[in-house]
Amino acid sequence: MITRFLTEVRVAFNPFSPRSKPARLFLSLIPADARANGMTVQSKMLPRTSKESATLGVKFKDGKEMNLDLSNMRITEVMEQVDRHSRMLARKEELSGN
Amino acid sequence: MPPRIHIRPRALRLRTSCSTPVSRVAVASYASVAHVKPTPAPAFERGDRPAAPIVLYPSTQPPSHKRPEERKTQLHRQYQSLLKSSPLMLIFQHNNVKAVEWMSIRRELAIALRKIDAERVAADQEPIVDQVKLQVIQTNIFASALKVVEFFNPSELPTDHSTDPRTPTTARVPLTGNKVDDERFTHGLSRHAYEIANNRKLKHDLEPLLSGPLAVVTFPSVSPQHLKTVLSILSPMAPEFPAPKRKTNPDYYEPAVQSGLQKLMLLGARVEGKIFDIEGTKWVGSIPGGIDGLRASLVQMLQGIGGSLTSALEGASRSLYFTVESRRMDMEEKEKPKEEEKKE
Repeated sequence: MITRFLTEVRVAFNPFSPRSKPARLFLSLIPADARANGMTVQSKMLPRTSKESATLGVKFKDGKEMNLDLSNMRITEVMEQVDRHSRMLARKEELSGN
Repeated sequence: MPPRIHIRPRALRLRTSCSTPVSRVAVASYASVAHVKPTPAPAFERGDRPAAPIVLYPSTQPPSHKRPEERKTQLHRQYQSLLKSSPLMLIFQHNNVKAVEWMSIRRELAIALRKIDAERVAADQEPIVDQVKLQVIQTNIFASALKVVEFFNPSELPTDHSTDPRTPTTARVPLTGNKVDDERFTHGLSRHAYEIANNRKLKHDLEPLLSGPLAVVTFPSVSPQHLKTVLSILSPMAPEFPAPKRKTNPDYYEPAVQSGLQKLMLLGARVEGKIFDIEGTKWVGSIPGGIDGLRASLVQMLQGIGGSLTSALEGASRSLYFTVESRRMDMEEKEKPKEEEKKE
């Protein structure tokens, strides 16, 4: 997963729900030094009884925000969604020669 | 020189029954063998007594389903004993925590726990700091071990079999066969246990938690005091579990510790077989004074009940006493005027 264009990651999930697996895996995909390089990661743990579905909010460097409902997604699909915009940013960066 | 013919006692014995010419020749050529009465076969071969038991495995290593020398198998066994021996267990998710960060987190944890243990030693209790351990686990092996611990109840056979008097040896009769698929094996690595661990119909509450990278903190006993300390170090939540102050504990605010703690997430806890979420874990950690505090409050409550009970029981007798006493006074008053009249 391309994480260098992410500036903010917000995750809310209920760990006792099997549907929260992609949310937890997304957190584990963030590299070890991402927080030191300016990414803010907020994870909110819902109580065990809550029926809310897991949500993921991502902000990119160009200011685009992406809100995903993870209740019916697999981690590969989440990665695809996030990477689609990250790849565009990467191409732009490459073309501008930085 | 007579031809050399090897004597094969077993072959000879077999041939005595059949009447092939070859065997006759063999018997005839060995007159001495033929004339000697065949000695009776040993008792165990005659079949009137059970054969001596032969155990083909060491008593400490019953046959396991998976190869016992593999790391997976040993981890499975280790996790089973961990689950059985630790009544209190915190489950964390760790997201790419570096080795240096693990090291500094473990250091801070040990320092904080040692402080608590110094108080325990002063109160003549055993220190448990060495047994409180933060370790990264292999999630799937742990899930399998959890299923074995929760659902594998080996049938209640007598574990110690007395020697069978009919057997010709004093060896212990094994309860199980030598094959791995014997259902009587009671160890957690047996094939029976493996089948239970692979049974998808058996669901445990902890199962949804067991995915992704996990780490557990295990305690040898349910000690809310230690739990509170561990929570305030690993996942500080103000105001109940505040992180140590910067002035008292500056090491805690090192970048290695803090960046490591950002990547640790408390998911839940397993307390004496029950599963708690974060709120439940907080509740366990906030029991004042631990088990002794609970005992003290129970004693206080029972004493209160006793006091109110005695006062209630006393109340009845007291009121009875008052009524009888008032009646006596009343009667005395009635009698007195009569006496006065008589005196007059």
